Parts: sequence; C-alpha cells; structure tokens
Amino acid sequence: MKLLVTMVVIIVLALIILPGFFYFVDEVEQAVVLRFGDIVQVSIEPGLYTKAPFIDNVVKFDERIQMYDISAERIYTQDKKTLIVDTFALWRIVDPEAFVKTMRTVNNALTRIDDVVYSAVRDTFGERSFDEIISKQRIETLEFVTEQSRKEMQQFGLEILAVRVKKADLPEENKNAVFSRMESERNQEAAKIRAEGEKEAAIIRAEADKKSTLIVAEANRKSEILKGTGDASALTIYAEAYTEDEDFYEFWKSLSVYESTLKDSKFVLDSRMDFIKGFLAGE
Amino acid sequence: MDNNDDLFGDIEPKKDYTKLIKIIVPVIIIAVIAIYFLTGFYRVEPAEVGLVKRFGEYQKQVGPGLHYHLPYPIESIVIVNVSELRKKEIGFQTISPGRYSSRENEALMLTGDGNIVYAEAVVQYFISDAEKFAFNLKSDEDVVKNYTASALREEVAAVTVDEVLTVSRNVIAQRTAKRVQQELDELGVGIQIKNVYLQEVSPPQQVIAAFDDVNSAKQDREQLIYKAEEYKNEIIPKAEGRSNEILNEAEAYARSKVLKAQGESSRFTSILKEYINAPRVTKTRLYLETVDKVLGESEKIITTNSEDLLKFFDITGYKGGGSQ
Repeated sequence: MKLLVTMVVIIVLALIILPGFFYFVDEVEQAVVLRFGDIVQVSIEPGLYTKAPFIDNVVKFDERIQMYDISAERIYTQDKKTLIVDTFALWRIVDPEAFVKTMRTVNNALTRIDDVVYSAVRDTFGERSFDEIISKQRIETLEFVTEQSRKEMQQFGLEILAVRVKKADLPEENKNAVFSRMESERNQEAAKIRAEGEKEAAIIRAEADKKSTLIVAEANRKSEILKGTGDASALTIYAEAYTEDEDFYEFWKSLSVYESTLKDSKFVLDSRMDFIKGFLAGE
Repeated sequence: MDNNDDLFGDIEPKKDYTKLIKIIVPVIIIAVIAIYFLTGFYRVEPAEVGLVKRFGEYQKQVGPGLHYHLPYPIESIVIVNVSELRKKEIGFQTISPGRYSSRENEALMLTGDGNIVYAEAVVQYFISDAEKFAFNLKSDEDVVKNYTASALREEVAAVTVDEVLTVSRNVIAQRTAKRVQQELDELGVGIQIKNVYLQEVSPPQQVIAAFDDVNSAKQDREQLIYKAEEYKNEIIPKAEGRSNEILNEAEAYARSKVLKAQGESSRFTSILKEYINAPRVTKTRLYLETVDKVLGESEKIITTNSEDLLKFFDITGYKGGGSQ
C-alpha cells in the first residue's frame, strides 16, 4: 500500500517537474531561451530540447511565411501624378536571436516593416513615371522595392520575401477626370461610327444613282444607234427602188405630195388652164 | 454514511475500504494510462493527408484511414485537406449561393491606356504539397487572394480597355494564373492554382451608358447602310426596266421604218413596172387620178378672168387670213 502511494506521488511530481527541464520546437516554430533576459540558447530546428527549469524562459516565434497588409499610401510619381498604392509584404523570421535583440515582438516588427516598405515604395516609385509603374516596369520596380526592404530588414532577423502592389489606383478626384475622358472618347467614337454609316450609305446611294443613270444613258445610246440603223436601212431601200427611174419617181412623188398637201384646199380655177379649157370646150 | 456507521460499527467497513483501495487504485492508474495511450488514435478522411510530428519535428505523411500516433506530448498530427478546391473572390463576394455583392473598390482597375475598367475574378486552387503548405505558410487565403489581385491588375494594366473588354479576357485570366503560380512556387508553399476566371468585366458604372451608345451607333451604322442598299436594290432594277423599254422602243422604230420602206418601195416598183409597160397611159392616169382626188372633194371656183380673182377671196373668207 505504501509502495503504491509513493509511486503515485512520484509520478505526479515527475509530471509536474519534468516539463520544466524540456521544451520542444514545432516544425513551424523556432525558439529562443532567455535566462534573466540574456539569450542562452537558440533552437531553429524542430525537436526536443533541454533547459534549466524555472530560470529559463522559452520564447517561440513562427517560422512560416506571413503576410502583412500595408495600408495604402499616396505616392507622387516622377511625372507629377498621384497614385494610391496599396501594398502587401511577405516576410518571415529567419534569425530569432537578432529578432529578439532588436524587435522583441511581432508588433514592433510589423511597425518596422511598415516604415521600411513605405519609404522604399515612395522613393522607388517617385523616380519612375506613371506609365512605368502601372504597366511597363511594374515587376522590375517591385523587385527593386523588395530588394531594398530586404536589405533594411536583414539586421532585424527578418526576411522580406516579396513586396507586391495589391492595388495602384488614382485618387478619387482623378478618377472622375478619367471617367469623363472615357465618356467623351466613347461619345466621339459613337459619333464617328454614325458618320461612317452616313458616309457609306451616301456612297451606296450615289453609286446606285450613277449606275441607274448610266444604264438609262446606255440604253438611249443603243436606241439612237438602232434608230439610225433603221433609218439608214429604210433610206437604202428607198434609194434602191427609186433610182430605177428617177424621173418617174419625181412625177409619182409629186403626185402624192399634191394629194397630201392640196387636199381640202379651195381652188380657183382659171378657164385658160388646159384642163378647164378642154372641159369647157367639150373636147 | 453516518447511519451505516451507527448500525454496523467501525471495524468491519475500514477493513473493506483498504481492500477496495488496493484494487481500485491500480485499476484507475491502468485506466488512466490506457486512456492516455488511446488518445493516439486518429482518422484521416479520404480527401486528407496526415502529417505526423514527434516532439514537433515532422516524421512522415500518412494517407486516409485509421492510424495511431504516440500520445501527446510525444507525437502530434496535422491534418491537411488536399482534395478540396478552394476559392477566392476578387471584386465581389458571394453572400449566399446566387447572391453576390460587388466590391467596386477591388474591381476597378487601371488599364494600359489610362482608362479604368471593372473586373471581377475568381481564383481556384488546391493544396498540392501538404508538407510545404502546413509548415511554410501561415495563412493561405489572403496570400492567394492578394497575389491574384496583384497579378490581375498587372495583366489588365498591360492591355487597353478595349482589349480587356473583348478579346483578351481569357489571355488575361491565363496569364494571371501563370503569374500567381510562379510567385507561389518561388515561395514554396505547396499551393497549386487550378484556374483564374474573369467573371464580370465591364466598363465602370459611370461610363457604361457611353459604351453602350457605341454599340447602338454600330447598329445605327448597319441600319443606314441597309437602307442605302435597299434604295440601291430598288433603283437599279428600275433603271434596267427603263433601259429595256427604251431598247424595245428603238428596235420597234427601226423595224417599222424598214418595213415601211420595204412596203413603199415595193409599191413604187410595181407602179413603175406598169409605167414601163405603158408610160403615157400610166402617167396620164396617175395624174388625172390625183387631180380627181385633190379637186374632186374640194371647193372650186372657176373664173374666166383671172383679174376677178380678188373679189372671190372675201366671199369664200379666209378665216383670219387676209383681212386688210
């Protein structure tokens, strides 16, 4: 009985006291052991470690990549334009010893990242034009910012892996200017398209008018030729017939002309005319 | 208890208690130890993998099924869902299935030609490397979302507003996915981008009417051209009809002229034949026939003295003729 009680007591005491001699570092952590504020041990690799109980204090830091969303800032580009740039940084603690010495807490680190990235972004973007920042050299610019921030933060045991621009926008007041420019551009385009339509329609109409006039003119030309040919053939036919005896033709034609021109006229016949004289004389 | 003591006395129960404790305590200790070791059982679902850590140090990866690890604090387990397709929305937010709210602030972005466009996107991704994902990255959600937003803006800024709205949609989505993948690979966080989809891409609300007007201008243009074509299709057949009419008329004229000439000349020829046979008779007959025709039905006055002629003019009356 006594043995049993002693065993239980020993086990319980061991469970209470033993953890004071050990600590373990997780795969995602790294630890610094402080004794009265001094660093006595740094454990970066995961695993089980020993320490002095009660007097040693283990401070653990996350080893993983973390994201820090930096608040948007107003930046003036080289060509005097304003941009609201919203950035984020990916960072991690690589040297817990340096980190503990310089930063102590993650909050301090974030404040520091804020300052460093802010000034790197402002300086770098300020030397570039709006177009370079927005489209042409965005990656190069950001790599430069990342590099600068990384150098600055190295001494604090931090690694800046990337600084990226989440958003780069025009300030609200400039946006409206862009909107009205876009609107007037579209209005112009619409007007141009309509004018083009009118132009094309006018061309089609004019061509149609021209074509139809030409069709009629061509018909008139052919018609005159046809008529001329007809007239000429008729004349040839007349000439062929009439030249057989020109004197008789003259006589015959005169008769028909007399008939058509003198018919229904009023005649005054003189008795001396052969025709009447014969008639009166009873010959 | 007090009642029991009074009834049975002190000695007997005390002996029983000691016996009981002698049995119960080891049982309790064994039970506690057993329960302690039993906490090491865990289940990995079919979509998941388990990462086993001993004193925090990664040991191995286990697949779906029932497994055992040494109890805390010796071993622990991290479970990662590797099959689940995760999704992040940019420029909008799904409130409930089918209901979305727009985040204009996120969706409005600059284009390469200095315009602003409204673009919503969805990025789909999954965990391709559970170990890297679990041990290298603190939070996946914001990282994927921010990288996608960033890459999307870069790609949109590389093209013009017209390209964004029309042809380049898929290109932008693909390039964005590729860019995000590159960045994530560099970080080594075990995330695989499956897809980036552009959802609604449109001109900003403020200028949408002007953009729509361009489309209606295009329709107007088509309409104007259509009307002109209609006019053309009407006027040309008309001219062709008129042309046909003119040509037929001319042909009829020419033919009739020739026919008339043929008729008249054959008439002449036949009379001439008669004339040749009997010249004098024919000539006289023709002459007299004409005189008959001309004079036969006309008014005639015969005078014996041509000096009297003027007197008759007034009587017969040239209407409106010589009035002096």
